[in-house]
Amino acid sequence: MSYPPQPPYGSPHDQPTQPGFAVPPDYAPQPGYPPPPSGGYPPPPAAHQPPPPPQYAAQQQPYAQEQFGGPVAPLPTGHGGPGPVVWDVHSLPAGDNVNPYAFSVELNGAYFLQKGKMIAYYGDITFKGVGAGAIDRVLGQHFNSPLHASDWVVAEGRGKLLLADRAFDLNSYDLDNGNLTVRSGNLLAFDPTLRLKQSIIPGFLTLIGTGRFVAASNGPVHFVEPPIRVDPQALVGWADCPAPCHHYDHDYLHGLIGGLRRLTGFGGASGEEHQFEFIGAGQVLLQSSEKLLAERSVGQVEAEAGVPVGGVPSQPAAQGGGNPNIPGLGNLGDLGRRFGL
Amino acid sequence: MGFTKINGKMVEAQVVPGQRLFSQRGAMLAYSGEVRFTPNITGGQGGVMSMIGRRVANEDTPLMTVEGEGRVMFGHGGHHVHVIDLFGDTLYVEADRLLAFEGTLRQSTMFMGSQGGVMGMVRGQVTGQGLFTTKLEGQGSVAVMAHGGVFELPIVPGQSVHVDPQAYVAHRGDVRNKLSTAIGWREMIGRGSGEGFQLELSGQGTVYVQASEEKL
Repeated sequence: MSYPPQPPYGSPHDQPTQPGFAVPPDYAPQPGYPPPPSGGYPPPPAAHQPPPPPQYAAQQQPYAQEQFGGPVAPLPTGHGGPGPVVWDVHSLPAGDNVNPYAFSVELNGAYFLQKGKMIAYYGDITFKGVGAGAIDRVLGQHFNSPLHASDWVVAEGRGKLLLADRAFDLNSYDLDNGNLTVRSGNLLAFDPTLRLKQSIIPGFLTLIGTGRFVAASNGPVHFVEPPIRVDPQALVGWADCPAPCHHYDHDYLHGLIGGLRRLTGFGGASGEEHQFEFIGAGQVLLQSSEKLLAERSVGQVEAEAGVPVGGVPSQPAAQGGGNPNIPGLGNLGDLGRRFGL
Repeated sequence: MGFTKINGKMVEAQVVPGQRLFSQRGAMLAYSGEVRFTPNITGGQGGVMSMIGRRVANEDTPLMTVEGEGRVMFGHGGHHVHVIDLFGDTLYVEADRLLAFEGTLRQSTMFMGSQGGVMGMVRGQVTGQGLFTTKLEGQGSVAVMAHGGVFELPIVPGQSVHVDPQAYVAHRGDVRNKLSTAIGWREMIGRGSGEGFQLELSGQGTVYVQASEEKL
């Protein structure tokens, strides 16, 4: 029980104010939603213990908050309960999450975003591909390498810009003269005050400077402090300067039984033989799932002595779409598959 | 001891020497301290005969043993995680929904036909449980995965609960379940309501339902 339940939106629990890595104060969990109505179920009698009704209600509330809580503005329509919220240009948050999956940017000037991540906007905004037109000359400051510039779009103008990425959880992070390295597929958008660099570690990008950026993750992001070993697929990024290195667990492959196992493959592997180990001061960002977001190619660095190369490892193809429900037969489950229908 | 929920999709477990945890293989997200992950050949507890039983019953989801000292975070596939604490009672759950459970729990495999004969077997087919399901009993915590959030519905005598078989996750306690069908001519001509099968649970206990009809 060393961890309290995490407040929503990436505000790290008991976040120490690290130099160069500040989390916006407006990310505190908001006392927001009432517990969901428990429907028409009869209250269980007192004799029935697990779970007694008060516990039931108490369990529901944090769950609801964690799912839907966070920066929820007062409902403009004025009706009480949870339901669809109607946003307009004034009530949309500025530089904050609208819900766990959408982020609203107050745009006044320029903003960099990945191609295809804009879902809606208010105001007068133009989108230009990076590498086209007059903005080219300012890019040198932000994209130190032209390799991945074609994946990015510059939004210019005034208004509110809504970002989302395939219903993944979005978080924004404030950097205060700091640095954060993030998996290339997870980065969505960033302030032009930040500089984007290709990390030495293939497949990762580093943001340096002061400003805010938006990153996606599969499940809410959890901040941990080193020393920690992380499943490679669960790693989103790291801030400040922990030293990332590889760690291999092969203990069970030693000895006689282990040798037999290694020779025969009997018993299989635990799937956790390889981790990334982080040591040092800083923060490590974890996503709550081992499903990666599709990688963005950050481009190949030129082959040169002393430069680590190696592109992004190829992703296993997404699992096939399961069984389609046969219409009209009701919910047969996978009865059909089991009987070979 | 037990599991601490970090967020809706992630739990943390404290591992202390001498106490084992079982978890689904590949479900570890991160750990600190000295923790060992050993693939479990027998797929759980109870020696070789239990292993054969599980293999036959198709309840042999690959498990690994987690031992050592430290903190481990578990999560898998972006599924929501629900922590269930057992105090000597019994939990029935499909093996592939088990994210992690404490070694203090006794794991065994149950034949669906033993609850209601042929109808129990049909029920197992419809809920996707198959002919067998996994039974956990004793004192300890279980982290169960579900697609969408999990909520608990209490089952009290005289007040049965109907659950869509695809939204069913697990149940605990002294619960009888049967499959109720509402199939009529509409289903036969393909104009059914899509709710032809329901799982009716009665007795005393709790049923865990996921907010989705998608299987894991």
